[in-house]
Amino acid sequence: MKPMLDNDMSPNRFELLYGMLLDAIPSSVLLVDEKLHIVSVNRNFLLKSQRGEARTVGRPLAEVFPTIILENTDIERRIREVFRTGTSVKGQRMTYRAPGVPIRIYYYSILPIPTNQVMLLMEDVTEQVRLSEEVRRVERHLASVVESASDIVLSTDTEGRILTWNSAAEKLSGLSAHEVRGQYFFQFCGSNQQQTVRKVFMLMKSGNESHTTEFPLVTSNGDSILVSWVFSPMKDDYGQTVGAVVVGRDLAERRKLENQLRQSQKLAALGVMAGGIAHEIRNPLAVCYSAAEFLLMDNISTEFRNECSRKIQAGIQKASAIIENLLRFARPSPDTEMVQVDLNTVITDTLDLITNQARVQQIRIQLELEQRLVLVLGVSGLLQQVFMNIFLNAINAMPEGGLLSIVEEISEAEVAVRISDTGMGIQESDLDKIFDPFHTTSPIGKGTGLGLSICYSIVQQHLGSIHVQSSPGQGATLTVRLPLL
Amino acid sequence: MNGPILVVDDEPDMCWVMECILRSQGFEVVTVDSGEEACNQLANRDFFFVFMDAKLPDMDGLDVVRHAHAQRPGTVRVVLVSGYHYHDDPVIRQAIDENLICGFLAKPFTHSDLLKALPTS
Repeated sequence: MKPMLDNDMSPNRFELLYGMLLDAIPSSVLLVDEKLHIVSVNRNFLLKSQRGEARTVGRPLAEVFPTIILENTDIERRIREVFRTGTSVKGQRMTYRAPGVPIRIYYYSILPIPTNQVMLLMEDVTEQVRLSEEVRRVERHLASVVESASDIVLSTDTEGRILTWNSAAEKLSGLSAHEVRGQYFFQFCGSNQQQTVRKVFMLMKSGNESHTTEFPLVTSNGDSILVSWVFSPMKDDYGQTVGAVVVGRDLAERRKLENQLRQSQKLAALGVMAGGIAHEIRNPLAVCYSAAEFLLMDNISTEFRNECSRKIQAGIQKASAIIENLLRFARPSPDTEMVQVDLNTVITDTLDLITNQARVQQIRIQLELEQRLVLVLGVSGLLQQVFMNIFLNAINAMPEGGLLSIVEEISEAEVAVRISDTGMGIQESDLDKIFDPFHTTSPIGKGTGLGLSICYSIVQQHLGSIHVQSSPGQGATLTVRLPLL
Repeated sequence: MNGPILVVDDEPDMCWVMECILRSQGFEVVTVDSGEEACNQLANRDFFFVFMDAKLPDMDGLDVVRHAHAQRPGTVRVVLVSGYHYHDDPVIRQAIDENLICGFLAKPFTHSDLLKALPTS
């Protein structure tokens, strides 16, 4: 066989070659003359329009294209325009439905060619259109996810300028997306945090890590709301930071729940102390009761009468002091404002509450406090709850009696309080679970499993730490560390 | 059976109350404030009767009684006095069933309650 292209190329061969080239093009190509008759078409068009060549070539455009397309695209007028002006029409959209095939979408161009004809080039973009619609749908969905979130979700450029700001952010801050777009995010943080926030954005430019922190957001009316923030760098396909996503959760609701939980756990702790309290109050009551009965007797000496009166007064005072202690402990902490607190007072006040519980269980208490004020920044009611829970746990660990020792130690910047018992100790497998909520080894009704998890959250709130050390049968030591003022 | 009455309570005012009531009826009274001292007393002499606090700082009142029974069976008659337990407390019922104690007195009590707890013999 002779090769297709050789030196003697007859016009016939050219025609053949162009016909093959046109047929190979995956777009529809039509040549139209000035009368708007079709001069030639390639295979792709015949395939897409489901027409034979004989029924197409030489026919008017109006016969080959469905009326509806002719009307919608106004293609005949456009072709005439191209003939008149000699300038092409590019990138027009056409929806074409041949009988019996699914709808197709085309981009078409009308190009003048020197043979006094125009070329109508139709490219099938159905798939591209479908994909971009899918992309838009996903985008819309993502946007609605972000918009529906009750957390603040915002995005920034690498410098920390706000790009998007969802409706939760609008609602909580009182600032509309329109107002904040383009502004630096740090401008909406409390003045003490601005430096930190700028640093976080700096770190995210080069790093991959997210940054978690808590600080207030300044709202439109100048108030501030405490928010827990997560800053994450946004990376492109090449790992370059292209911006940041910032998610913030309003802590007010969580704090409220936390306070409720702490309060109910406190009341549960009171239940544990009920036995000790009964014993503690009934002793002075019994003394008063008897002394009053003595006073009713005739022929008692003035001296004895006075003694009875004194005992009654002392007994009532004692019972009343116990009740006051209980009230103080049971009452919800009025505010969570951190103030200067003497830790020694907190510890001794708490011990007063549990001394009797310890006594009824034959537990001795050894207390070694620093002989000076130990000042920390805190909420004394909450700190009292921490020590109460730890003391009660220690007492519960010693049903057969033992020694509860509380040793305070001051180092440069912090105070450590070690609370040790001589009880049953903690199984190694339980050690890393003891601060988990609802983890309890107590029988049902004896413990809620909340005590230490609450201690943990309170100590954390005070920027301190809490650790446990124990082995079975050897007792346990809990160490609470708090930063000194 | 002869001898004084032993009052065991770690709360001095409770000892004062019981001592006053019992002395006014002509009884001789010995008071102690710990389980250990109570054990010593019970080991060394006879008591007509014992008023025992249930919760002592060093021992449980019932354990003191158990100890005394073990050392000198059948010689100790005890009423448990407590603000910690209540009348139909299972612990109390069991102690009575076991003949560990012959009665229970809840704090606070009237003088006649205390005196009624004493055996008539």
